[in-house]
Amino acid sequence: MSAPRNPELVVDGFPPRRARWAQLATSPDHKDLGRILIAGALGFLFMAVVELLLMRLQLAVPENTFMPPVTFNRMLSLYGATAIFLFALPLALGFFYYVAPLQIGARGTALPRLGQLGTWLFVGGAAVLYATFLFTPPEAGVNPLPPLSGLVYTANNGIDAWLAACGLATLGFVLISIDLVATLRRLRAPGMAWRRLPVFSWSAAISAWLTIAIGAVLLAAIAMLLIDRNYEGIFFAGSAGGAPLLWQHLSWIFYTGAYMLILIFALGAVAEIAPALARKPLFNRNAVIGSLVAIAVLGTLAWMQNMYTAPIGLGWMYFAMVMSLALIVPFGLVLFNLIATLNGGAIRMRAPLLFAAGAIVAIVIGLASELSHSLVAAGWRLQHTTDSTAATHFALVGGAVFGGFAALHWWFPKMTGRTMGETLGRLSFWTMAIGLLVAFVPLFLAGSEHDQVIDAYKFFAGEGLDAYNLIATIGAFVLAAGIFLTLANAILSREGGRPAGHDAWGADSLEWFALSPPEPHNFDQLPDVRSARPMRDIRAAIAHRSAREERPARERQPVA
Amino acid sequence: MSPHSPAIDQIDTLLWIGFAAAVILGVAAIGGLLYALGRNRAGRGAEPRQVTGGAGIQLRVGGALGVFAVTLLVLGIVFTDQARQAPATGPAGLQAKGGEPLTITATGQQWLWRYQYPNEAFSYYRLVVPVDTEVRLKLVSTDVVHTWDVPDLAAKADAVPGKTNEVVFRADEEGTYDGRAATLSGQAYAQMRTAIEVVSPARYAAFVKTRQDDIQAAQDRVVKLIENGETP
Repeated sequence: MSAPRNPELVVDGFPPRRARWAQLATSPDHKDLGRILIAGALGFLFMAVVELLLMRLQLAVPENTFMPPVTFNRMLSLYGATAIFLFALPLALGFFYYVAPLQIGARGTALPRLGQLGTWLFVGGAAVLYATFLFTPPEAGVNPLPPLSGLVYTANNGIDAWLAACGLATLGFVLISIDLVATLRRLRAPGMAWRRLPVFSWSAAISAWLTIAIGAVLLAAIAMLLIDRNYEGIFFAGSAGGAPLLWQHLSWIFYTGAYMLILIFALGAVAEIAPALARKPLFNRNAVIGSLVAIAVLGTLAWMQNMYTAPIGLGWMYFAMVMSLALIVPFGLVLFNLIATLNGGAIRMRAPLLFAAGAIVAIVIGLASELSHSLVAAGWRLQHTTDSTAATHFALVGGAVFGGFAALHWWFPKMTGRTMGETLGRLSFWTMAIGLLVAFVPLFLAGSEHDQVIDAYKFFAGEGLDAYNLIATIGAFVLAAGIFLTLANAILSREGGRPAGHDAWGADSLEWFALSPPEPHNFDQLPDVRSARPMRDIRAAIAHRSAREERPARERQPVA
Repeated sequence: MSPHSPAIDQIDTLLWIGFAAAVILGVAAIGGLLYALGRNRAGRGAEPRQVTGGAGIQLRVGGALGVFAVTLLVLGIVFTDQARQAPATGPAGLQAKGGEPLTITATGQQWLWRYQYPNEAFSYYRLVVPVDTEVRLKLVSTDVVHTWDVPDLAAKADAVPGKTNEVVFRADEEGTYDGRAATLSGQAYAQMRTAIEVVSPARYAAFVKTRQDDIQAAQDRVVKLIENGETP
């Protein structure tokens, strides 16, 4: 602890009154809650990877009998719910919730108890989903379409558990998002105008609004399906005058919006990492921020891209195609600005930037492949094949895993005071990069060349699929090894990492002005924000004063 | 894969257009990123120039991307429209009165496809259609959502309970085309397959006649058994 500069304002921490776990379980502090969300998400990443590996083992050879069909369908359902609701979304929201209040110079959040409720609703949802191992896990797939998920065709309680779990988690995400919106609107430090807000905080604001919108839609759909299943409702019952397509619309609005949220999170994190590690400002902040807003709106409006084979009318398909193709402009502009930021910089190729570059490459491969899916007639051919599995996984593994690991390496020093191991980080990155390519490129070929369908528990010999699937299984294991290396790295570095100091990377945003880890109240003194790069101004002021007074700069603050 | 229907020709062309667009955008983005990362490593030197870009370059880049997107949109609409055009029955096809297309109903049910021909004949798993003939396939479902998927012959389409979907195709060559269901429909989903047999109009007529006679004979037998007081 450095010597207090303003002793009258500094409290060097009250003596801990309760055990750490009790403190964490009852804390409404956004940093504690963010850590619960992030740690929980990384734990469920482990589960999702294990489930993926089990499914890939079943699909390693044709007509495999490693797993009965119903077990495969249960793994598939658990994998989808875990990867989206228990890993990707809480990871993104966890980082937003931890970092955004620090970035805007807030001493906490505006509605801390709401955020606390949201976080624990997520924990409750996760408990419900995994409690199904005690009775019957859900078995109607990643998106449980009625009537298959209705009572007539899936009579056991697995679907009810899916609905309860995803409903609780989604409600939690909505509450956290409401707190984030309120915080970003009300608690910005003096001078922190919206035009000076860091890009990652903009991502947080956009994602929070998006979560409120799409979360409400999914919650409505979940309520209707619960009524159908438990109170003889007919919302989605095709034979009784209900509309099975209604579920498809509502659920795809959520899933498409969530897809965009994950990409907005990753791009926002990269937009913090790239300028700092290239020592250049972002090439054009306004263009990046505007593009992220456009991605949220256009991307979510393209939900019917997932319904090209459904009986919905050609005009709606063209509407979805217009929205999907319009996304080329904002995504292209964000990428252009990130590249222009790096170009001409003095790049330090540290682990966060490595993962950030990996995220960009994977997202580009995924989105470029999705292009063909959005061209209506080509979509008729490619959708429902492993080509779409591969495209989605490139974009979402790129966004949530590579992007999430970039964010983890970047903010780990702020959260723990220690840097994650660089060597292990590099090893993990290259293993993951090779694994991702080997696991999913064959699925592109199997889907587009040989029409291997999605979600099937087996494939048949003699259809040209054997080699692709075997290679994909090997790739999945390599990818998993890479992911586990970073998870291990995070666990080991929490106690054993190199001390990072408060200003670990020389970045420009205000979270680096707080201590590492931050005090419960975040800042002793709120800085007066004069530009979009407040930490750079503070550093310059300190250097200026140090030069004049010949005093060292703040202790333990290596100015990079 | 070799296309065997006019719609598949259009879809294949559009697939290549999409692939080319993906390669162009992907190579530009990934190439630019790797170039920037490779060329600008930090050495011992001064702070890099703190340049930022104005609105002009954003508009130019955004405009170029917009033109690219609009081009793709136009191509997408043109080829989708052509893929949907009802292909008229050719000279070698089944000549119906008034040029009506051959309408067949495909019913998806866990885990089979049932095909209902115009003259009350039906078949499971295997659909027999005449070559060079416009076939209008009505897709319905008796239980859950299924996707009818015969990639060498026609576009995919969903069979949704309570709704009717439609696929129109014309097979240009005789032969057997494999198909499958492509939406998770329960435990035996992976087993839910189908085969489309494209034959000459004469053989098609013979097939339908035989099916009709067989079904009639079976029904007559059951009726007779019941009349005789036996359990069928």
